[in-house]
Amino acid sequence: MMVSKESCRNEIRAAIGQLSERCLHSAAKWAGEQLVGIEQDPSNFTPSNTRFQRGSSSIRRRFSTNESISTPQPSVGFSQAAATPLREEDEVIDADLYFLAKSYFNCREYRRASHVLRDQMSNKSVFLRCYALYLAGEKRKEEEMIELEGSLGKSDAINRELISLERELSALKRTGAIDSFGLYLYGVVLKEKGNETLARASLVESVNSYPWNWNAWSELQSLCTSIEILNSLNLSNHWMKEFFLASTYQELRMHTESLAKYEYLQGIFSFSNYIQAQTAKAQYSLREFDQVEMMFEDLLRNDPYRVEDMDLYSNVLYAKEACAALSYLAHKVFLTDKYRPESCCIIGNYYSLKGQHEKAVMYFRRALKLNKKYLSAWTLMGHEYVEMKNTPAAIDAYRRAVDINPCDYRAWYGLGQAYEMTGMPFYALHYFRKSIFFLPNDSRLWIAMAKCYQTEQIYMLEEAIKCYKRAVNCNDTEGIALNQLAKLHQKLGRDEEAAVYFEKDLERMDSEGLQGPNMLEALVFLATHFKTHKKFEEAEVYCTRILDHSGPEREKAKSLLRGIRMEKTGFPSMDMEHFPL
Amino acid sequence: MAGLTRTAGAYSVTPHKISVCILLQLYAPSAQMSLPFPFASVSQHNRLGLYLLSLTKSCDDIFEPKLEDLVNQLREVGEDMDAWLIDHLTNRFSSLTSPDDLLNFFTDMRGILGSLDSGAVQDDQIILDPSSNLGMFVRRCILAFNLLSFEGVCHLFSSLEVYCHSSSAQYDASNDNLESLIQHDQMDMEKYIMDKATEEIELHKNASGSVPFHLHTPKALFKVTEGLLVTRKEKSRGNTKKTEATPLACSSSSTVDDTLVDESLFLRTNYQIQGFLMEQANAIETHGSSLSSSSIESFLQKLQNLAPELHRVHFLRYLNKLHSDDYFAALENLLRYFDYSAGTEGFDLVPPSTGCSMNGRYEVALLCLGMMHFRFGHPNLALEVLTEAVRVSQQISNDTCLAYTLAAMSNLLSEMGIASTTNVLGSSYSPVTSTASSLSVQQRVYILLKESLRRADSLKLRRLVASNHLAMAKFELMHVQRPLLSFGPKASIRHKTCPVSVCKEIRLGAHLISDFSAESSTMTVDGSLSSVWLKDLQKPWSQPVFSQESGSRKSSTFFQFCDHSVSIPGSVSQIIGASYLLRATSWELYGSAPMARMSTLVYATLFGDTSSSSDAELAYLKLIQHLALYKGYKDAFAALKIAEEKFLTLSKSKILLLKLQLLHEHALHRGNLKLAQRMCNELGGLASTTMGVDMELKVEASLREARTLLAAKQYSQAANVAHSLFCTCHKFNLQIEKASVLLLLAEIHKKSGNAVLGLPYALASISFCQSFNLDLLKASATLTLAELWLGLGSNHAKRALDLLHGAFPMILGHGGLELRARAYIFEANCYLSNPCFSVSTDSDTVLDSLRQASDELQHLEYHELAAEALYLMAMVYDKLGRFEEREEAATLFKKHITALENPQDEELNMA
Repeated sequence: MMVSKESCRNEIRAAIGQLSERCLHSAAKWAGEQLVGIEQDPSNFTPSNTRFQRGSSSIRRRFSTNESISTPQPSVGFSQAAATPLREEDEVIDADLYFLAKSYFNCREYRRASHVLRDQMSNKSVFLRCYALYLAGEKRKEEEMIELEGSLGKSDAINRELISLERELSALKRTGAIDSFGLYLYGVVLKEKGNETLARASLVESVNSYPWNWNAWSELQSLCTSIEILNSLNLSNHWMKEFFLASTYQELRMHTESLAKYEYLQGIFSFSNYIQAQTAKAQYSLREFDQVEMMFEDLLRNDPYRVEDMDLYSNVLYAKEACAALSYLAHKVFLTDKYRPESCCIIGNYYSLKGQHEKAVMYFRRALKLNKKYLSAWTLMGHEYVEMKNTPAAIDAYRRAVDINPCDYRAWYGLGQAYEMTGMPFYALHYFRKSIFFLPNDSRLWIAMAKCYQTEQIYMLEEAIKCYKRAVNCNDTEGIALNQLAKLHQKLGRDEEAAVYFEKDLERMDSEGLQGPNMLEALVFLATHFKTHKKFEEAEVYCTRILDHSGPEREKAKSLLRGIRMEKTGFPSMDMEHFPL
Repeated sequence: MAGLTRTAGAYSVTPHKISVCILLQLYAPSAQMSLPFPFASVSQHNRLGLYLLSLTKSCDDIFEPKLEDLVNQLREVGEDMDAWLIDHLTNRFSSLTSPDDLLNFFTDMRGILGSLDSGAVQDDQIILDPSSNLGMFVRRCILAFNLLSFEGVCHLFSSLEVYCHSSSAQYDASNDNLESLIQHDQMDMEKYIMDKATEEIELHKNASGSVPFHLHTPKALFKVTEGLLVTRKEKSRGNTKKTEATPLACSSSSTVDDTLVDESLFLRTNYQIQGFLMEQANAIETHGSSLSSSSIESFLQKLQNLAPELHRVHFLRYLNKLHSDDYFAALENLLRYFDYSAGTEGFDLVPPSTGCSMNGRYEVALLCLGMMHFRFGHPNLALEVLTEAVRVSQQISNDTCLAYTLAAMSNLLSEMGIASTTNVLGSSYSPVTSTASSLSVQQRVYILLKESLRRADSLKLRRLVASNHLAMAKFELMHVQRPLLSFGPKASIRHKTCPVSVCKEIRLGAHLISDFSAESSTMTVDGSLSSVWLKDLQKPWSQPVFSQESGSRKSSTFFQFCDHSVSIPGSVSQIIGASYLLRATSWELYGSAPMARMSTLVYATLFGDTSSSSDAELAYLKLIQHLALYKGYKDAFAALKIAEEKFLTLSKSKILLLKLQLLHEHALHRGNLKLAQRMCNELGGLASTTMGVDMELKVEASLREARTLLAAKQYSQAANVAHSLFCTCHKFNLQIEKASVLLLLAEIHKKSGNAVLGLPYALASISFCQSFNLDLLKASATLTLAELWLGLGSNHAKRALDLLHGAFPMILGHGGLELRARAYIFEANCYLSNPCFSVSTDSDTVLDSLRQASDELQHLEYHELAAEALYLMAMVYDKLGRFEEREEAATLFKKHITALENPQDEELNMA
């Protein structure tokens, strides 16, 4: 089902107007981004109009010829009513009051805004009044949260408007005098009150009748904590649903499905920054760092003052140890908006990379002050505490991350690591198991678990071997697993298996052009092994390879070669000894 | 993070504390204030003081009382001046009209505190000592208020308003809740119900734990739906309280499932909450899973919302889940608790002096985890974890934890059937365990116990010392003491257990009662006393006995107060109770039925209420078993019914086990072998499939299987089962069980007519009994031995009789019905087969015994033996020529034989 670009464009255009009329600014912002993301109709625009869009490389794509130039069409089916501008039923005086309320709202004077609209009965006014009231409550709640912070982290600050809002909205809903925006707000209120089932129902109703409100979709997404819930939702088909599904899949760690959705959407919204950032996020989860870096560079070129998702970019840069680039990024976001959790996180990352862990912790703390539920900051702070050898603090930080999102495998892994550091490898195993449960295809986790089993306190080598085998199957790029497998088998006296793994390891090192002590070790073992098993050709090959290296192994190889020749010529050394000349 | 930077014992001013301050102003008016002194007598004044003290200490809830409750209580305390007190309180509150008034109020509060050094005090002025409990309270309030920012003062002020009008606010909230429920009637109700139902089912599953197959989904669904409707109806009647509210579900809270917190509620002080949580933990242990786990869960949820940094909640949740057998949730919460608190929050056993080190106390986590695995029946995991706990405790030299861990480990090793520890413990390098790597399991247990005892002794951990003594007694009871290092044939060894040392250890364990105060947690004792005092206030109020004079009422509360002040902490009485149970067990083994019964009765009467439910269950179990053995099945089944009502809800209830045992025994006696076999199989099915877990149960099951086979005359199969059982017992070092298995083998050979083969088994059993001092079992083995001798031929009758007479005192004094009957019949048999014995001259000797035997067997409904006795009787009568009596015996004989041959018929008749 390919939606025509033109109809999308028209729908979004109308929606932006309606959304910003209702002061749903972030939804309007999102819609605007997608609107500009649609490939433009070349006939209507001169190149100068497109300067905001994309780098030169993309411009060529923008004017692709295969686009069917469609006439503006009314949107299909159910959305038709909502796509057309809403009826202006309000009287002039209402409109005047509405303008005033809206201005107050825009100046963040929410209570004033809602007061102005106190007697207005039109849907639009009711929504704005309730929404303003809700935001006023939220604002007060945030303030109270700081004021009330007690000894036990008492966080019972609540939005005091919720009860009255719920009462009013539910009354409206009962009488049917509620529009889709009201339903959205009602869903939000219900969610805040912890009534998730009803909230979901209300939000679904809202997005089904008015699909362009991204806020509603994202609230709905936060309520879809499992694939079962997602599948149970009764959503009408609309292209906005694809956005929703893509982002939900991502949260549910179904990265490939999510990527497929985004790819499809990119067919329409070819230049959407949002889609690009989300794709990068998914790719990041699949550990395609190079690709992600390129995407973010591209993104920053087009949208240089973007702060959203930039913490992810900083993670990539951190992983690639690109100090300079990271500092550049940090500087840039710092100038843009220093009191964003993302900015603090980026700066924290930078200090961490520089080894200044105390400073890094300070910035992560700041990020958390700005957003208590900022998952990655908790985890990253845990890492810093591990570096600072403050295990209890690290464990605490990781645990908080896990309690915010129990699927965060990094935090589980961190917990395991921290406990292993305190000398409790057996206890740590549980956490490693947890982390592997959420990310079974990561060789690093398997290797960490194997190392745990290998510690002298536990010393369960069979289990370690199993883990290393899994790591090998998960494409262990660092090659630790093969080497360890060989060594473990050697230790357990299973020379045949050891030889197999040493050979594999050797193969891997050859293909990657690596050298080093591991290589020598493998060669020496293989040479001796094959000699004792009388496979002289192989043994000779390995011996000669050892001769390429310097060091004490050379002598060993030489003596091995001598021994091989002796045995090959039919005068085994043993016999020589038996008949001394 | 937050847990580490938090200042300990932070304190906040709340409206309730302001009330207490106002009352304190009355209690100790300052010199400047010109209030009339309202108290008529000193005792009245003291009573108010006592009340205020209790208010600051009691730990009966997590929330501070509301103004309403306070006023109600004041009515109780104030006696004739209650109106005055309440008036003053409300007036004072209404005079606080602006934040500035609050500021002035607290400035005034300073006046009631006397300065520490002031010598010149007016005579008639009552001065609050600043370092007294109440003085401290005032000082902390003042300090906390001074620390408040202006916003804080504003918050306090607005919450004061809510406090004064709390009842109306609460009504609003509940109304609102109702509306939200009603309005979704049509569209969402069904879905809502479904969700609720699945939730409840989950809950039921968790709660019922071990018997999930009893749950039928549709029924549960129906029930839940019904329940929901009921609650809705109730709500519409304006009733905000759920019906099943236990005393635990905090009575002051509003609707249970509302996640929004009632604003008029404030948490008590940290100290009080900890005390409350501790009491809850005790309650969970005492009542086991019969306590509604969801009600605990709901208050924990509330507490967590209000105090997310109070990590003790997670621990309590762990305990709750542990007792409702929810392994995953228990594990999850245990780990969470230790992740957050680093093992430093709320643990009594960590002496405060050592404080919170930088490293945290994760070894305690390991200890708890190990015990959890133990409880869930994962012995190997538990052993691994405990080994790690030992290692970590040693590394950071936490001797307290080490002592506990060693005790837990020895407990594990002695309870679980672990054949050899080398594969588990061999890998560890910890000094304690590795020195013992070549030792057997029992020796290891012994060493661990000794080590633990030594450490506990030096650390003055009284309770641990006591329970270690008990463990030691158990060990001494079951094991022959041998020198640890000098093995070999030359070492002079007395192969006997030592009852004296068992007795000594038990007594040492019970010594705890004399010095329990040394290691008591003052927090709970203090707090619980206060809450008891407060509760007593309400007692006469709830009873319609107002005619009592105030004087007598006072004295009664006074006595109760005294009574409670000498009450022992629950954990102590639990250990002492355990010592009585152990005493009972040891008497049981040593073979003194009356002593065993007496100890059990002492336990059941004195400690039945305070101890953990599993212990109480055990006591009931012992008493019922005693009834079955000595009084017959009728009484036993009647008693079982009572016990079932009480304990069947427990997880891992032993009552079911007992029931199966009794039914099996009963079926065997009545000759209903099919039923016996079925019971036997069910018994085996109760045991866990894991190696080494539930050893006792497994041994019991196969012992019974062998006996069933024996009764079915499948001798070779019975012998096979018994042999393999013997091997198992040997492998897992179950010495006492070995003795009974040997006896069973002798019995099998006797029945199969192979007396010669049976003899060595009987002798071996006797020697086992001797070395373990199992006197009763020895008597019964002697009886079997005598029977075997007689089986070799009538020329051995004399020897057999001698043997029997040697064992007679024991058998008649302590034996159960069956054993005694057997002995009587055998005695008669001996006489009859003795060629020198003439029936006509000495008939009474024989007849008396036989009559005794048949009477006792009637009680037991043991058809086979009864028939035998009656047969003999008839023969004797026949010889004597007393035909009438002969006929009577013969008809009875016939009745028993038919009953034996058609057990099903009788079954039907009974039904």
